[in-house]
Amino acid sequence: MPLIASALAGAAIMTPVLVVMWRSFTSGKLGFTVGLNLTNYLRVFGDKDILPMLSNSVVYAAGSALLGTVLGAFLAWIVARTNTPGKALVELLPLYPILMPPIMKNIAWILLLAPRSGILNGMLQHFFGIETLVFNAFTMAGMVWVFGLACVPLGYLFLLPVFLSFDPSLEESAYIAGSKPVNTMFKITFPLAIPAFTSALVLNFLRGLRSFETPVLQGTPGNIKVFVSRVYDSMALEFNTGLATAYSVVLVVLSVITLYFYIRATRFSERYATITGKGYRVKVIDIGPWKYLTFLAVFLYFLAGIVLPFIVLIVVSMIPYFDYDTFMQFPSNAVLTNYYTVMKHPSFVTGLYNSLILSVTIAIVTVLAGIVMAFTIYRTRAAGAKVFEFIGTLPLAFPPLVLSVGLLIIFIGTPLYNSLWALGIGLFVAYFPYAFRNASGSIVNIHKELDEAAWVHGARWRHVFFKITLPILKPSVGGALFYIFIEAIRNVDVAVLLTAPGKEYGPVTLFEYFRVGQWAEAAAGGVIYLIILIVAVSVAKFAFKMKFSL
Amino acid sequence: MAILKVEGLSKFYKDVKALDNVSFEFDHGILSFLGPSGCGKTTLLRSIAGLEVPDTGSISIADKIQTSIERGILVPPYSRAIGFVFQSYALWPHMTVFSNVAFGLKLRKKSEEEIKRKVMSTLDLVGLQGREQRYPSQLSGGQQQRVALARSLALEPRLILLDEPLSNLDAKLREEMRVELKKLIKKVGISALYVTHDQDEAFTISDAVVVMDGGKILQYGTPDEIYNRPLHPFVAAFVGHAALVDGKVVRIEGDNCLVNVPDFNGADLISLAPKTVAAGDTCKVVIRTTEVKLSHDGFPKGTDNVLEGLMTSREYRGGLTDHRVQIGSKELVVTSHKLCPMIRVNGDGGKTFVSIDRSSISVIVTH
Repeated sequence: MPLIASALAGAAIMTPVLVVMWRSFTSGKLGFTVGLNLTNYLRVFGDKDILPMLSNSVVYAAGSALLGTVLGAFLAWIVARTNTPGKALVELLPLYPILMPPIMKNIAWILLLAPRSGILNGMLQHFFGIETLVFNAFTMAGMVWVFGLACVPLGYLFLLPVFLSFDPSLEESAYIAGSKPVNTMFKITFPLAIPAFTSALVLNFLRGLRSFETPVLQGTPGNIKVFVSRVYDSMALEFNTGLATAYSVVLVVLSVITLYFYIRATRFSERYATITGKGYRVKVIDIGPWKYLTFLAVFLYFLAGIVLPFIVLIVVSMIPYFDYDTFMQFPSNAVLTNYYTVMKHPSFVTGLYNSLILSVTIAIVTVLAGIVMAFTIYRTRAAGAKVFEFIGTLPLAFPPLVLSVGLLIIFIGTPLYNSLWALGIGLFVAYFPYAFRNASGSIVNIHKELDEAAWVHGARWRHVFFKITLPILKPSVGGALFYIFIEAIRNVDVAVLLTAPGKEYGPVTLFEYFRVGQWAEAAAGGVIYLIILIVAVSVAKFAFKMKFSL
Repeated sequence: MAILKVEGLSKFYKDVKALDNVSFEFDHGILSFLGPSGCGKTTLLRSIAGLEVPDTGSISIADKIQTSIERGILVPPYSRAIGFVFQSYALWPHMTVFSNVAFGLKLRKKSEEEIKRKVMSTLDLVGLQGREQRYPSQLSGGQQQRVALARSLALEPRLILLDEPLSNLDAKLREEMRVELKKLIKKVGISALYVTHDQDEAFTISDAVVVMDGGKILQYGTPDEIYNRPLHPFVAAFVGHAALVDGKVVRIEGDNCLVNVPDFNGADLISLAPKTVAAGDTCKVVIRTTEVKLSHDGFPKGTDNVLEGLMTSREYRGGLTDHRVQIGSKELVVTSHKLCPMIRVNGDGGKTFVSIDRSSISVIVTH
């Protein structure tokens, strides 16, 4: 039984992957195949934009990864090792920005940084008479800024435990040897954090390569093309599946190379035996008056990460239409018409409904499937465990957009095409690795003798699974359920190709609003989503006493 | 009826031979598997439980075949009607003591009343009455150990398997629990297999001991036989308080044999002869060092095996004292039960005599 369930999940994952590969070697439009050939690759590599596109992709991903990881590491160090005032608050501030869906961050920052209509340029002109357009969201710098901010929490979460669980005797022996605190910091503390930093950096780079919203919403208007936006254009605008899949394969190759380095970086950091889970009392360093500056740094990040975008979205959602002058008249011109409009708009209402239903369903299905597969691999003698391990992790190498390209190609001509099932399967495939890896990690940590004790005392596999494994996994199951729910309900990059009239997905609807210039409606819809997320988080936090870690 | 019969059991992990053609039979009582880590004892126990599948061989419990690779029989662990106490206790952390003990009974679809009665009487037996609503994390190590035992006993198995059950307890508690465990198993009247790497534990608790190394059974016998008549140099060395020296059999004199030991300045030692021995055999001479006597002034004529040496140092260990005596090229560590005031450390070249009774020596022929 667990084997069959795992095989089903495996098949759902492998099919789009194989289809993308196969399709990239064929030419012809949707539904028609004209032999195996290299036409698509010839076009991809013959594209005069291929080199700029490659460099754009790398610069964008590396730039945001570097910005976000450095900032996140800095925040982690401030929180863990300095006497910055307001510790309890400071510890949580860097995590709140995770709540805001990426698409809304993009929308908010475009409203702030757009060259002509943007709020910041308008203010510079209005208050200081600066006519030059200082800020431009549609540049590489604008893209790196917005996605870099989104990379901060990961850097923070990777580095915080390192700085917190640091064996103080390592630093103390440096002091004894005559090293001053600052020198010790640079010679001992930071070098020992390098492996975790590298892991976070590479993972953020991978996220940059795969990210969808920023390249499409900011890059495309500024004519800065990266692979993801090129895949989207060839699929959504040119309907050329062969070309889309060929670009996808290039992107996948880049991802796989990155993933390889990520795995190596993680392995290396695990070998740093000095950093353990032991509960050391970490010494907090008195940084004197600098502590106010570090507090300010954390607070500024909090402002940029969530407060500023949130205020902008709320204001824009409550003005009749967006331009600088109307924006500045707020609140005298406050209206709720945008909310009425979106709530009457069938594409938004259906999208909202679908996203709620699907994200809850997908969270449950994915987490259960992940546990079953991990259980099959680590707790039964089923054959092919290694294969499942590989398949379960595989979608990580595939940008979500590429997975949905593969699924779309499969679904055309079947009853699944333009159905909610298509969306559901897409989300399942995209989020399965997270559920699977979370479950594997937890199952491996459950002492095997707990299972064996059940076996020898009369339990069959179903008893072991339902009475032992599942109850013990409860805390991590809760976390994974919630994480996937949060990610799925705001997903754009998987859903964008799989929606259809009548089968909308909320975040995609917002994405479309924004692309056709209905910025105020997009903001109103975004605020509704944010409220739902805040309610969900609060319910989870207080009703289920759930702890959050990613 | 033998409660357990193992025949030709072998198991490989890649290139490592965990079990090498192991065969033995066991009637009833408590049987220990003793050996260093990696000797195969845990693999053997887990194979008997059905948690490991051996590569060859067969296992019968109470004359019913449970594992037979040759005949393709593999009874799953849940149908073997055995108890198993794990090294980590493996108490399910999300269940109370009561639920842990009741787990197997519920699976056997016993009535609510019967389950309650059985759980309570078993907890009573192990001395945990009144703790049934606690969670494992609220119990001490010793109490957790009893819960694990109760969980197995509640199912009334024919055979209970214990995998180093005391190794997670501190030294003092371990010694107490040994005796208690033995009493309890005897009181319930079931047979038990007991894995340990601690020879004191094995000797205290069991009726018979299997000494293992490298996946093989080196000796199977009562604790007394294992200690006093080791059949293998490894057994003698592992069982402890023994010094091993190389020797060569000079001649046989009735029940005794004379062995030449080059390390002791070529002295000839007299000992009880093993069953099959011939002059000219090479052998290991096992000297039980707790039984060696020490003197400054020599021993009366006719005392067995008097050797002359030099005491180089002495370590006081509380109840015991180790005396290091250099005899020829060999240092003999003689352990006595108290510090003898008349024994001085003669670093200045003064002599010390040792005497080894013939019954304190075992000769193991190695050819």
